Amino acid sequence: MAVITLFRRYGTLIGFFAIIGFFAWQLPDTFVTPRNLINVSQQISMLAVVAFTMTIVMVMGDFDLSVGSMASLAGVVAAVLFAQGFPVWAGVAAALAVGLVGGLANGFLVSIIGILPFVATLGTLTILSGVAFVVSDGRTIFGRDIPSAFSGFARSGISLEPVGLAGLSLPWLTVIALIVLFIVWFVLEQTIYGRRLYAIGGNREAAKLAGVKVKRLRMSAFALTGLGAAIAGLMYASRVASANPTQGSGLMLDAIAAVFVGMTMSEEGEPRVLATLVGVLILGILDNGLTQMAVDSYVREILVGGIVVAAVAFSSLSKQTR
Amino acid sequence: MFRPIATMAAGALALAFAMAGPALAQSVAVITPYLAQPGTQFYVDGFTAEAEAKGWDVNVVDTAGDVAAVISRIEDAVTQSVDAIVINVDPAQVEAGLQSAADAGIPVVGMDAGSHPLLATNVTSNGYAMAAETAVYVANRIGGEGRVVMFVFDAFPPVQIRGVIADAVFANHPDIEVIDRITPDVQDGGIADSRARMEALLAANPEAGSIDAVWAAWDQPALGALQAIEDAGRADEGIVIVGMDANPQARDAIAAGGNFEASMAQDFVGIGARAADAVERLVNGEELRQSVIYVPTKLITAANVDEQ
Repeated sequence: MAVITLFRRYGTLIGFFAIIGFFAWQLPDTFVTPRNLINVSQQISMLAVVAFTMTIVMVMGDFDLSVGSMASLAGVVAAVLFAQGFPVWAGVAAALAVGLVGGLANGFLVSIIGILPFVATLGTLTILSGVAFVVSDGRTIFGRDIPSAFSGFARSGISLEPVGLAGLSLPWLTVIALIVLFIVWFVLEQTIYGRRLYAIGGNREAAKLAGVKVKRLRMSAFALTGLGAAIAGLMYASRVASANPTQGSGLMLDAIAAVFVGMTMSEEGEPRVLATLVGVLILGILDNGLTQMAVDSYVREILVGGIVVAAVAFSSLSKQTR
Repeated sequence: MFRPIATMAAGALALAFAMAGPALAQSVAVITPYLAQPGTQFYVDGFTAEAEAKGWDVNVVDTAGDVAAVISRIEDAVTQSVDAIVINVDPAQVEAGLQSAADAGIPVVGMDAGSHPLLATNVTSNGYAMAAETAVYVANRIGGEGRVVMFVFDAFPPVQIRGVIADAVFANHPDIEVIDRITPDVQDGGIADSRARMEALLAANPEAGSIDAVWAAWDQPALGALQAIEDAGRADEGIVIVGMDANPQARDAIAAGGNFEASMAQDFVGIGARAADAVERLVNGEELRQSVIYVPTKLITAANVDEQ
């Protein structure tokens, strides 16, 4: 019985370390190296921010399909303002404002109007994507239109020389992801606000009867998810030094997958942001390791999808046996 | 589980080559977000065929449209210390990855990727030469005199250079008059708006023979102009239409033997093969002086449209 509990609780974590162990064995010289791990942290940083903030709405049993289009739109809005000669801070601020407003709109549709999150955010996904095309005129904005202060951000970081890693630096994109992780963890785990979101996720009616302002909380949670998507969109635009109206679209499904993988790690099947981090790491490490092993891209997709399904299936099965 | 097989294959090939000469099996990563697009598939096929003949270990990575993931995969290839990297994506968008390759001293070759200081070279078709060929085709076909309509798109650099050359060719013929230089709206792909613009122009020039030719910087406007001319019942006036890129729809129109007479075909497979040659020279320590290597293109007319 104790073994089953152990597996139910830590199966995903064991799988995670098994994956790391496998790559460390197959790629002895290049996988567990400071440089590669720093690369991975930067590679997953955008997905991580989306997934962390996606966790906030998933705590309440909701989800947000529009994060990918929101990320694209945020990048495009900033880039268009840059192209018109606005300073970096103005473009970034406008993009974040768009994220916040878009998130609030999602929250309004879901909590005030009462549309199912799937339908409401599917609608805003399409709207935001259309707006991104209109704003950018369907083009990729790149080159001299993107200020070097903005694109240079994703290529620089904090030097790790003082800790003995000469020539390496902790990328700013990784730093941002860590900051977002800390904020989301703090908000969800250490504040009354977070407890109330979990209460809504546990039983919305009961939470309401207990005096929790469900509508207002759901709306604010969606606003935070929209803001996170906008941050990720800016990170993406900085990394590729350009913006186009579809570049964020891959983030949504991966983010939801990461949260689901993370959910298998908690006893009650609740989303926890630190567990989401493990989900993101699994996806990122698989991409990095399988590329290094020269596994065909399409086979890689099948493996990644298979591992996500296996993690969730394993957890679901072990719960049934309890 | 894939690695041992690949290593064994590479090892066997290396052995075979070691006996033949000093060449060693190179490992090359080909990274693109666009593998699902037909053109890119041809580049990659051309590259892999040539690379296999050379006995290299090639890893083709498709990021399914995700440009940031191209940077990530370039970083992974650098970590893996491949001998060379080949990309088919706008280099300006993956500069972060190119920088990490440059820092590690790994050469990066572009396949129709655009020029960039961090690329050892870019292998592509010569847009100037292609435009010259179709523009000269038009000028010769109408006997050096007549009224020509141009479809251009100056906002997109690879297409803009085509327009510049056609301008020069037509300007060099004193009896050729360019009656309009149209930039169609390309949101819908370019055919529909080009057709509408051509219809307006036909209405403005109602007399038979008042328009002698349409020169289009790519195939879609040429197809739109063809539809407009046919629907206006003016297909028998002998208006000569040329496009560029020789896409399947354009090839069909050329094969039909109507007004659409010519287009230019890029040698996608050849671009891939020449990219492999460039990689070979680079890993042999040669420094490439040409920052762009051009692969010849071919004029497609009714005479050769059925080839290949």
